[in-house]
Amino acid sequence: MTSPVGRHRHLRPVSRPGAVAVLLCGLLAVGAGACGVAIASQSGRPAVRPAGQPKFVPVPRGKRAPVPQPADSGNVARPTRLIIPSIGVKTRLVRLGVTSSGALQVPDAVVVAGWYTFSPRPGAIGSAVIAGHIDSFLGPGVFFRLRLMKPGERVYVRRADGSLAIFRVTAKHMYLKSRFPTADVYGPAPTAQLRLITCGGTFDSATGHYLSNVVVFATLTR
Amino acid sequence: MRPTRKIARQARLASVLALALGLIGFAGPAAFASAAGSASAAGSASVTAPAASRVGWLRLAHLSPNTPAVDVYLYSFGDPSAMIVLKHVTYGTVSAYQAVPVGDYTVAMRGAGAPASSKPVLSSTVDVAAGKAYTVAGLGPASGLRLQVLKDRLTTPRGKALVRVIQASLQQHRVTVTAGSTVIARNLAFSSVTSYQTVTPGTWNVHADGQTSSASDRIQLAAGTIHTLVILDDPGHLAIDNLVDAAGSRVLPDGGAATGFGGTAGVPASSLVPWLVTVAAGLLVSAAGIARLRRSRRAALHAR
Repeated sequence: MTSPVGRHRHLRPVSRPGAVAVLLCGLLAVGAGACGVAIASQSGRPAVRPAGQPKFVPVPRGKRAPVPQPADSGNVARPTRLIIPSIGVKTRLVRLGVTSSGALQVPDAVVVAGWYTFSPRPGAIGSAVIAGHIDSFLGPGVFFRLRLMKPGERVYVRRADGSLAIFRVTAKHMYLKSRFPTADVYGPAPTAQLRLITCGGTFDSATGHYLSNVVVFATLTR
Repeated sequence: MRPTRKIARQARLASVLALALGLIGFAGPAAFASAAGSASAAGSASVTAPAASRVGWLRLAHLSPNTPAVDVYLYSFGDPSAMIVLKHVTYGTVSAYQAVPVGDYTVAMRGAGAPASSKPVLSSTVDVAAGKAYTVAGLGPASGLRLQVLKDRLTTPRGKALVRVIQASLQQHRVTVTAGSTVIARNLAFSSVTSYQTVTPGTWNVHADGQTSSASDRIQLAAGTIHTLVILDDPGHLAIDNLVDAAGSRVLPDGGAATGFGGTAGVPASSLVPWLVTVAAGLLVSAAGIARLRRSRRAALHAR
């Protein structure tokens, strides 16, 4: 068995250009790695949370919608605007249907909300549905603060005849989209009710979608 | 001389390794902290408000043709003061549903204008369950007036409408009700109620045919809606009253709503580990290069 020293002696010759090449390769890797560390350490971003006061939106005025009676159904004007002073929302309402794949259509613009036209009109008997975006690619959308709503807060829907349907929040829930409670949200209701829908929970950057929906349930005040 | 050089090389190698490990040790916790930060931000978004599902719904109806107007009182069980009072309710009147906490209730009828302290003409109890709806109806002739608690449905088969019939005509003792060619009620006797029937949605010509009189109406029965058709005596003829028991969406969207693009969502930091490994490997290769360079210089010196 040869000693390490003896083995060294026989490992000759070492070419100088080869050694320089190895050194350069090594330095290159160090440089690339350092750049990677610098970039990767800047890549994370915390979630933007609603902070401070929402935009001031005054409580709207107008003729208050009557409680719909079971015998005079179907004579309610279509909804035109949504006003929620507690979270600074004041928007016109666009009309929403379903997409070609059967999902709820959502507004093209993130700053407006939309009424789902296959649901009852807000203020008529049944479960009216309004959806809006939590955010765009860049920042907050019309329903960014929806998750902050609390039971008892008011939601106002202006109708085409100028009347106001006034709703009181009864509950707020977050559901995984994979287990969305379609019957609870879109199913029949015996009184005039409203559901406000937006996204929430974890954002899956692989699919570009949030994994959950936030749904606020409200009922027409008397 | 040689052992010292060997020790020096090992020391150099050790210092390179220590430097690499030190880099990982320095940056690793930072990466970990940023990942943990975004995870907690996502976690705190899962808020659920207290459910308001501990309510049911009640509505009151006067469907006895020859009974004069009544005052209807609703009492929560054990509470002597009325929760709701409907004054001067006349034949054919059906109230809107009232949301009430789950529990037992008493419905009492008194003649219109009778003092609240007077003995009711009629009373009945109803046990309201969470998320259920009930119609408490005064049915039958004045001589045999009764309060009947009807359980109202709040779900439809997908894409269908539901409809039932209450026969409240005393003039026509038996009535047959059709929607298009579908028979909803055949020879239904006065003061009786059908169960709900599933019907294809659409706007239907609804006919109510008694022995000597009939009525018809165009009635829209949309998918996801639930109706009660009440057959009433109008002076001299029949009338159909179309009550909406409940309404939902005509088309049920699949799944949730795509209402966000992620502009306010947290993004976890990408991992630093591959880059740190690259740095460490680069340092090792560089060290090897330096060693070879020295060796080649020594060889050149020896050769001279």
